[in-house]
Amino acid sequence: MAKRITVDPITRIEGHLRIDCEVDGGKVTHAWSSGQMWRGIEVILKGRDPRDAWLFTQRFCGV
Amino acid sequence: MDEFHRESDISGDALDKMLAGGVSRRNFLKFCTGVAVAMGLPFGMGAKIAEAVMNPKRPPVIWLSAQECTGCTESLLRTNHPTVEKLILELVSLDYHETLNAGAGRQAEEALRKSMQENKGKYILVVDGSIPVKDGGIYCKIGGKTALSLLEEQGSQAAAVIAIGSCASWGGVPSADPNPTGATPVHEVFRSKGIKTPVVNIPGCPPNGYNFLSTVLYFLTFKKLPELDDQGRPKFAYGRIIHENCERRPHFDAGRFAMEFGDEGHRKGYCLYKLGCKGPETFNNCPTLLFNDVGSGAWPVGTGHPCFGCSEKGVGFTAPLHSPARPLYITPPSFFTEIYPGKEEVSSGTKALAAGVAGAAIGAAGAAIVAGLGKKGEDKKDKEE
Repeated sequence: MAKRITVDPITRIEGHLRIDCEVDGGKVTHAWSSGQMWRGIEVILKGRDPRDAWLFTQRFCGV
Repeated sequence: MDEFHRESDISGDALDKMLAGGVSRRNFLKFCTGVAVAMGLPFGMGAKIAEAVMNPKRPPVIWLSAQECTGCTESLLRTNHPTVEKLILELVSLDYHETLNAGAGRQAEEALRKSMQENKGKYILVVDGSIPVKDGGIYCKIGGKTALSLLEEQGSQAAAVIAIGSCASWGGVPSADPNPTGATPVHEVFRSKGIKTPVVNIPGCPPNGYNFLSTVLYFLTFKKLPELDDQGRPKFAYGRIIHENCERRPHFDAGRFAMEFGDEGHRKGYCLYKLGCKGPETFNNCPTLLFNDVGSGAWPVGTGHPCFGCSEKGVGFTAPLHSPARPLYITPPSFFTEIYPGKEEVSSGTKALAAGVAGAAIGAAGAAIVAGLGKKGEDKKDKEE
């Protein structure tokens, strides 16, 4: 019988990361990583002055 | 600075503890006095801050990250007096912070629950990042819960909330048009949910770490928030527009502008207004506080790039970068004192003062009033003669 382990939040990193994994007989059989936050910066960029793009894309990650 | 140290004094007990911790008395008081001065407090307040900082009961702090990029935390990590490790290990009890927590997953969430239960109504909640409210708040989740529900829960039980960064203060990057996730600042979430916890906004992208630290230390010392403006920002940091303290201001007044990047004016350090600098409509203390403790010039305009108004709602991430700013205050005309002042009743000093006040308030009309003053004086002189 597979056991499901979820670690959320993953700390000491930037952003909201979640890890789910399935363990069966001491072995990881499946694993999923997922970002838990979305801002839609691609959507925000549409139609803007291209010279402004860096202001937004630079802020994907502040680390 | 030495005079301030002699005036400041803290109790013997506190001093012993401090010296046992390997911090010199001089450095410690220097830090406390520096913080007092940065907030515009009298020098004697440095000692009061020192007392509060030495209090063995460190105030609990819970840090909630929503739609953020961790830039605010990174900026805070660059502060040197105090360093962030001193802040979180000695000054406050940082019970929960996703990026800095040692434990992960369930352990981290348990630490959060425990602190919230033990310190109900007493902890400081720091929020970085905006709160997505669209589609039930699904665009940001921590431990399976939405940031919206977490803020509601943690915010309603906090003593005070510090919204760090533009995202938490007014929406910032995620709230830029068309705001795909319904990104909302903390104070607006509170208003819509009827939560009465006081909120102080420290906008900036990122904000200066010292504006945040000073607010925390003010709260620790006086058990209340510093004086705030109409947008919930501490007046000591956001009381003036950048343009007022800019080192390139003399170039603006003299009409010397960089017209494009790399031209002669740009190389000579002229004013960046015509490249779209938003200093004339952005409230912040960047030119006086600077960044990263590396000396003069360490702020956007100092490096030759126009300010884009990152901390100002309706300017940063809203107005196009290379569009002209809408100056908030009309610049008063420059005045020169007379070399041989006349004997008229209205002195040149009074005229200059009137010009400054009237000019700042009503611009061109101010010059007319001043011209009138001059005439009146001359008329009187004529009559006397």
